[in-house]
Amino acid sequence: MTGDEKKFINLINEHQGLIHKVCIMYVSNPELRNDLFQEIVLQLWKSFHTFRGEAKITTWMYRIALNTAISGYRKQTRNVKTQDLDEVHYNISEHPGAEDGEENAQKLQWAIRQLSEIERAMVMMALEEIPYEEIAETVGITQNNVRVRMNRIREKLRKLMNV
Amino acid sequence: MEIEDLKHIWKKQSEGFKPKDKTELANMLKGKSSSIIMRLKRNVWFELIFTFLGGLGLLAYALTLPGGYLKWTSIAILILFAVYSLYYLKKLRLLNRFDPGNEDIKANLERLIYNLKGYLKFYRRSYSVLYPVFFIIGLLFVAIEHGAEGFFNKVTKPDVLLILLPGAAVFFIFSSWLTSWYLKKLYGNLLEKLESLLRELEV
Repeated sequence: MTGDEKKFINLINEHQGLIHKVCIMYVSNPELRNDLFQEIVLQLWKSFHTFRGEAKITTWMYRIALNTAISGYRKQTRNVKTQDLDEVHYNISEHPGAEDGEENAQKLQWAIRQLSEIERAMVMMALEEIPYEEIAETVGITQNNVRVRMNRIREKLRKLMNV
Repeated sequence: MEIEDLKHIWKKQSEGFKPKDKTELANMLKGKSSSIIMRLKRNVWFELIFTFLGGLGLLAYALTLPGGYLKWTSIAILILFAVYSLYYLKKLRLLNRFDPGNEDIKANLERLIYNLKGYLKFYRRSYSVLYPVFFIIGLLFVAIEHGAEGFFNKVTKPDVLLILLPGAAVFFIFSSWLTSWYLKKLYGNLLEKLESLLRELEV
């Protein structure tokens, strides 16, 4: 393993939660989720030499991970929403004694998947407490636009969570 | 439900996450990319290598021929193979423009749409040129088979021209339609999806 590879693996190891969350938000099938995880790692590795530390490491990672999940990867396209709904209902009914927290987490996951792919990217970063400035930089819109869109997304999520 | 509540719920879902170890991550770097562009590139490389090897085999065979129509047929196919190799190289050059997706989501979408449209335009145009070439080669083979003089006497007859010209037009129109249909089936959904995502960001 080269020095660059070691440095890269350490970086991914430290921030793999971020990639995992992107995968959860864009793919519901666990097997395909693993494929997307690998694809994101490969794309990050391909771009690693271009990262010069001007942006925050997480901003760079979010950009590539989201670009890969949104537009660079095409596998699971059919019946995603139906499957997600079924999955949530299945999980909840299979575990009637499951804690409220777990149920809420599943419901939030489901609700986020009902949003558009761009909205998913934004809400995910917001929930990760990433400042609006960084969200704007990752998505390519103004901070004001982020604020307006986030208000709309919050409203949509509120309705979906109360279904 | 406020955003703070959602953040609290969001944190809960990270708890079930099983991190991958470093060996697993290192193995991922050796894996094959399943991105759309990489798959397209792999296909083009396969076609290029296949054409090159086929061309080499045909060249070796043509060199053993003493002369006659079989030799000329082989040379005509070799020229076609050479044209195809240039076509594949241009396709690879266009596909290389897609890498890598370092910029923000909006800029990445704009670049992808622009490059995908360029790629499809080239694909469509090259087939618009290649179909008449196929047609002419087909006619040449018939000429070789029947003898050039007899062939030209035959094709210049009005009744033959009356069948040949509409036939050529139908062949061209149908093959162009087929190419457009095939491209739409292959990349239409992807292009529509990218454009709708960009529209969403532009509103």
